[in-house]
Amino acid sequence: MLVQNTLLHMNTFYSTVKRGFLNGILITYKMVKVIVPCYIAIEFIKHLGLIEVISAFFKPCMSIFGLPGESALGLMAGYFINLYAAIAVITPLQLSSKDMTTIALMLGIAHSLPIETGVTRQTGVNAWLMLAARVVFSLFAGIVINLVWKLFS
Amino acid sequence: MEIIFIALKDSLALTLKLLCIILPLSISYEFLKHRQSSIEKKNFAVFGISGKGFIPLVTGIIIGLTYGAGVIIYSLRTTNTTKKEAFLILLFLSICHAIIEDTLIFVVIGANGFILIGFRFALAITLTYLLYRSRLFNAQFNGFPRKGGRIEQ
Repeated sequence: MLVQNTLLHMNTFYSTVKRGFLNGILITYKMVKVIVPCYIAIEFIKHLGLIEVISAFFKPCMSIFGLPGESALGLMAGYFINLYAAIAVITPLQLSSKDMTTIALMLGIAHSLPIETGVTRQTGVNAWLMLAARVVFSLFAGIVINLVWKLFS
Repeated sequence: MEIIFIALKDSLALTLKLLCIILPLSISYEFLKHRQSSIEKKNFAVFGISGKGFIPLVTGIIIGLTYGAGVIIYSLRTTNTTKKEAFLILLFLSICHAIIEDTLIFVVIGANGFILIGFRFALAITLTYLLYRSRLFNAQFNGFPRKGGRIEQ
């Protein structure tokens, strides 16, 4: 009886681990499909020298957050696609720890907006209001952390 | 041509790093699912969110909106959470969700994790509390009592 119970317990333990493992692999598979193309695209843009053009174009608006112009690409990828795309875009840009933290904070608050707005809508809460709140607070957090960081360094 | 190979190699290395984070997380999510009923009794009344709202809140904070969507939508619809409470929960979650995964994947590429977690929690708690206390927000919901324990669409 005791042995049987223990065996049953072990069984649920292993099946839980197995389910988690398979889920993790599935997430990683979805991630690879986004990361690899984005990474290659950014390397190409860098190689062709387009990054300077993009950087100069976005410099005025990104300077509000104390970020270099090219990081706008990462922000866009995060807002419209998902975080993995954003990571694939900003890793090759080699930003400083401060810039990375600022972008991470902004993207942490607002990301994968098309998908997550769909989720919000299904809970019955006003999804557009929530979407607006996320974008506003994301920008707000970027401005605040830039100021606070400057204050303490 | 060489640039594609370098990008491919780098992006796969990045994916491997992320895999090391995602696998342990996805396995622990599965264990967390078993523990759900025990946290249902706790109270979070400070922000106007009751014990029933705690499940979607904790799920969202830890797992995130995309993967936790099922649990969040299900528990908001089946338990007696008021529309006001649902709004507060979604507001909190919109700023502070997937706190472990989001933070770790950005820490891997050089962001400061403590600042990320601290700032998001602080902002989410402040906003939820302010909204919970605000007269305009309360007036919005007092006129519309809920019918039949479901959120009206």
